[in-house]
Amino acid sequence: MKSLLFSRFLLLLPWVLIVIIVLDIDSSRAPLPALTARGGGGGGGSGGPRPAAARAPPQRRPEAALPTIYAITPTYSRPVQKAELTRLANTFRQVARLHWILVEDAAARSELVSRFVAGAGLPCTHLHVPTPRRYKRPGLPRATEQRNAGLAWLRQRHQHLPPPQPGVLFFADDDNTYSLELFQEMRTTRKVSVWPVGLVGGRRYERPVVENGKVVGWYTGWRADRPFAIDMAGFAVSLQVILSHPKAVFKRRGSQPGMQESDFLKQITTVEELEPKANNCTKVLVWHTRTEKVNLANEPKYHLDTVNIEV
Amino acid sequence: NEELWVQSVLEMPKRRDILAIVLIVLPWTLLITVWHQSTIAPLLAVHKDDGGDSRRDFAAGLDSKEYCLSDRDIVEVVRTEYVYTRPPPWSDTLPTIHVITPTYSRPVQKAELTRLANTLLHVPNLHWILVEDSQRRTPLITRLLRDTGLNYTHLNVETPRNYKLRGDMRDPRIPRGTMQRNLALRWLRETFNKNNSQPGIVYFADDDNTYSLELFEEMRSTRRVSVWPVAFVGGLRYESPKVNAAGKVYGWKTVFDPHRPFAIDMAGFAVNLRLILQRSQAYFKLRGVKGGYQESSLLRELVTLNDLEPKAANCTKILVWHTRTEKPVLVNEGKKGFTDPNVEI
Repeated sequence: MKSLLFSRFLLLLPWVLIVIIVLDIDSSRAPLPALTARGGGGGGGSGGPRPAAARAPPQRRPEAALPTIYAITPTYSRPVQKAELTRLANTFRQVARLHWILVEDAAARSELVSRFVAGAGLPCTHLHVPTPRRYKRPGLPRATEQRNAGLAWLRQRHQHLPPPQPGVLFFADDDNTYSLELFQEMRTTRKVSVWPVGLVGGRRYERPVVENGKVVGWYTGWRADRPFAIDMAGFAVSLQVILSHPKAVFKRRGSQPGMQESDFLKQITTVEELEPKANNCTKVLVWHTRTEKVNLANEPKYHLDTVNIEV
Repeated sequence: NEELWVQSVLEMPKRRDILAIVLIVLPWTLLITVWHQSTIAPLLAVHKDDGGDSRRDFAAGLDSKEYCLSDRDIVEVVRTEYVYTRPPPWSDTLPTIHVITPTYSRPVQKAELTRLANTLLHVPNLHWILVEDSQRRTPLITRLLRDTGLNYTHLNVETPRNYKLRGDMRDPRIPRGTMQRNLALRWLRETFNKNNSQPGIVYFADDDNTYSLELFEEMRSTRRVSVWPVAFVGGLRYESPKVNAAGKVYGWKTVFDPHRPFAIDMAGFAVNLRLILQRSQAYFKLRGVKGGYQESSLLRELVTLNDLEPKAANCTKILVWHTRTEKPVLVNEGKKGFTDPNVEI
């Protein structure tokens, strides 16, 4: 009898081990829990001169529960492209669980961006779609096709994965400036969240007007009559909403400049549903900075350099 | 009948045996293959990392990497699980990089400093010396510095205004940022003892430029003064020192006045702290400096051309870009200002 039990036990043992290991592998594909929880305190360490004041870790949830933030960045080739992407990457790399979707306005993946993505140091998806020439006139909305490509990729990727997939998506132009606090704010988006944007609309900032925790109007310098008078950098959408509105895209036909955000948000939400962030929309956590066009007046037409250096 | 029954009983154990053997062998082979796979995967990731950039080397607490194979259409990259201690823990072996940034108040100031801080937060052993061009230290900067968590020193000195001109014009004879950088140099000399100080590197970082993380690691090995190319200066894609086969700088590849003693931008060089402390009278010249000669006014008191150390793969890689930010359009503020001035931007 004992030997029977013993042999049965030995028989079962390897199967049990397999089950345990498989479960472990599965859970390790999700981000590790305790190990990678933010050790946010100042980081000064011992012996450093003037260590910075300790800061409480901003997020107390273990990382496994963090919704992924998807940043869709359209980009196009010009001299400052690599510089812009570099400093944007430096910011994004400080954010946990951020997945960068970089969409080039190009017919094919460029070497510069491909190399950049390979060394970027954060999860990155590299797409490309060229803007048709007829839409490249000044005054027309830009980056429409690229943002739509990002949306399409997200939708396609998640149709195979089991729900619920917590995630938040926002549109990050490559010349804006993002503070790290912004990402904390947007991560708790349930449907669509909004916040102020600095240096836009001809003003120091634009913001949604909030009363009793609800958005009731828009504080903006330009066309306040828009249904959603907000800049591309001023809102984030939860992945659920994107997936449940598969036809919501940025429009080309019948679109007016400056109405891109409105036309898009109209398809997925209403003003009443908006969630105000950034302390009821009173703090500026993102700035619509623009980089000057580079002065290349001294570049020679002939007698080019002997080496080819990427800038 | 009985014989048949006995025979079938005899056969059953055989089948049972086979079954038993299979049941035993199978899970063990599965286990072995799984174990094999899981030991190979980390090896693969490590292999990939050797070819990867050096930026990740110093990220203390580098955790397991996930390596996703690429779809033909989509490139998913080696993912590094960052441990988000900001900044990275202080190391006793790395020289400190003292980054001197002059700054002045204008609408984009907070944005510029925010994204600069986001970059600096990656760099271990970094000490940020922020010098405001103002009469006293402003609350905006005080709060910003405190909230970043960086190791910092907050100074201020006001460039004298030109009272002859009406309005808020600063003295145009003093190039912007000069007094602030000099103040930082003086602070370093007053704070650190030249005989007994920790190794350090001094770098002048303007708040609107763009810096790659690799740059900081290149400059860390500076013995006296190191130099490298800078993008978007002098009307060119980049300006760069000319380096000969022996690895020595012998000239400057610029269009704008290449005969300056040091035809290099502020962002293109770093100085060892010891040299700063030894040559304690070396400062940026305040007045009478021709455009483009600012850097020379300091460097010629510190080093000769021959002593310069070229970095960035013998000055063939661009690791810093002299970007400039557009002045934002604020027409809708009107003369009196429209938005709430208490909302800080």
